[in-house]
Amino acid sequence: MYRKITGEKLKKWLIGLSAQAEILVPAKMNGLWTFRLFHNQELPRNFLNSRIPPKNLFFEPLKALLGWKAADGSFQVNSCPAPEAARVIFGLKPCDARALRLLQPVFTGDYPDVFYAGNLSRTLLLGQACRVQCQGSFCSEVGIDRQDSLDFDAFFREIPGGYLVRVITEKGNTLTGEKEFFEESSAGEWNSAKEEIRGKNENPLFNLEKVKAGARERFPDEDFWMRVSAKCINCGICTYLCPTCHCFDLCDLQRPGQGVRLRCFDSCAFPDFTKMAVHNPREEKWRRYRQRVSHKFNFFYENFQTVACVGCGRCVAHCPVNLDLREVLLEMAR
Amino acid sequence: MNAPEDGKNIYQPHLMEIVKVISETGDTKTFHIQFQDASLRESFSFVAGQFAEYSVFGEGEATFCISSSPTRMSHLEFSVKRVGRVTNALHQLNEGDIIGFRGPYGNHFPLDKLKGKNLLFIGGGIGLAPLRSLIHNVVDTRADYREITILYGARSPQDLCFKYDLETWERNPSLKMVTTVDAGDNKWKGKVGLVPMVLEELKPSAGETMAVTCGPPIMIRYTLKSLEKLGFTPSQVWTTLEMKMKCGLGKCGRCNIGPLYVCKDGPVFSQEEIKNFTSDEF
Repeated sequence: MYRKITGEKLKKWLIGLSAQAEILVPAKMNGLWTFRLFHNQELPRNFLNSRIPPKNLFFEPLKALLGWKAADGSFQVNSCPAPEAARVIFGLKPCDARALRLLQPVFTGDYPDVFYAGNLSRTLLLGQACRVQCQGSFCSEVGIDRQDSLDFDAFFREIPGGYLVRVITEKGNTLTGEKEFFEESSAGEWNSAKEEIRGKNENPLFNLEKVKAGARERFPDEDFWMRVSAKCINCGICTYLCPTCHCFDLCDLQRPGQGVRLRCFDSCAFPDFTKMAVHNPREEKWRRYRQRVSHKFNFFYENFQTVACVGCGRCVAHCPVNLDLREVLLEMAR
Repeated sequence: MNAPEDGKNIYQPHLMEIVKVISETGDTKTFHIQFQDASLRESFSFVAGQFAEYSVFGEGEATFCISSSPTRMSHLEFSVKRVGRVTNALHQLNEGDIIGFRGPYGNHFPLDKLKGKNLLFIGGGIGLAPLRSLIHNVVDTRADYREITILYGARSPQDLCFKYDLETWERNPSLKMVTTVDAGDNKWKGKVGLVPMVLEELKPSAGETMAVTCGPPIMIRYTLKSLEKLGFTPSQVWTTLEMKMKCGLGKCGRCNIGPLYVCKDGPVFSQEEIKNFTSDEF
């Protein structure tokens, strides 16, 4: 189902929604795109993807899971409540929405994590089509359509004066069904609004099937992994900015008489990530780099039949030593 | 098994009281613990080989197997070598102190495959802890198994864990118990030698026998070689793998070896499975 809305009405619609839910929209802060609370401001057009992936709004970098206190001689542990307050995120990109879906079986499959599940179920996901290829990205190579997606409740495509809307879920249908704001549109109109992505790669960088096969074949090739990881400095920024990386640590914060247990981001790039009392199976840097790439393109695929990379390019654009994952994948595909 | 309930916080531990602390060696203690919640004492169940996450609130969580047997449910036991932050904190605790417990997690020893077979247990150091759960279990259901041999080794007589169990097993006429140390002292009357060497001396018959081994990675590596020499096929040999774990739920990423998560797909593996692992990072 397709609908359309003018830019002005979209803003009014969001203002209306903000009475019932927290609204997050793209905003530029200190020169970087991010998602911020909507304060009835003009919505940016042509915004580029956020520096920090919206994964952090679902799988928080630091999340209190439970707390304890010793009061009157009794010791009590209480779970932190699962998030429930309704929320709307407008302007998510197709790559980041796919990443949220990829993490779904990890967090909500066996042993469902109520915090991730709660964040997903309380959020209305409103996507927006890309118009510009992000720096370092290779999203189309890993199967992301920058101008279309079914990973949202509703997906918006900018047109002169407003937006076309592809309605995907029942929740999306109900909310965009208000005649006061939305008009009916058609598949024809939707398809004709598809535009060329500015700055896109002329030809695909690599073939994903070949990358997956290469990931399996290259796994035992120590020389390959040593060579491609040589300049990595174990800073972990690729994992912290990755929309699909989800390794975490559990740690305690104790204050007088009370404390809290936190789930916080961790990284397989760090040397002590797998360090145990007597040995560390991934002490060498090349093993850790191999683990990250193999987990995304080999192990995750084996477990969930999809690669755990959405090609957003953040790891490429922000690596301090220009370790370019695209080059590694290209070599794996050869 | 104790499946997670809908809407429950999977990271929330149950509170357990320490009812007894046993000093095994200079750096290893065994804790006997009991659920504070009386209904959990009744409903909790596990299978030998499973593990749990234990917390000292304010210090963090650490992973240990449940070293007591499912056939002896008056309390649970786990054993801890003092090596890091949480294990040091545990060693400070006394009877009456409260700890957190999440579990049971992971798979378990293949009791169905062991039934009707000769059993050979090979343990080293604190690695006897998970084996001990299984040994007590098969001793308590002795009629289901044929000959049972236990080979246990430690660095020195002082490093032998569960001495009270070793003595009981030695006295049990339906068990063959062999204890060895890498280096004895003037009072030591048992065998002297590394576990794989003593194993080769013992020459257990591989026919109709299942071997279960647990210990330091280096001991396991050589024990597997010795078992192969003795004619054991990979499907006759079972072991537990040790990997760093935090969540125990297949999410946090540490114990990942190839497509497997040791916490969910293990910690018990047959040598057959290990042979086919994508990765040797364990």
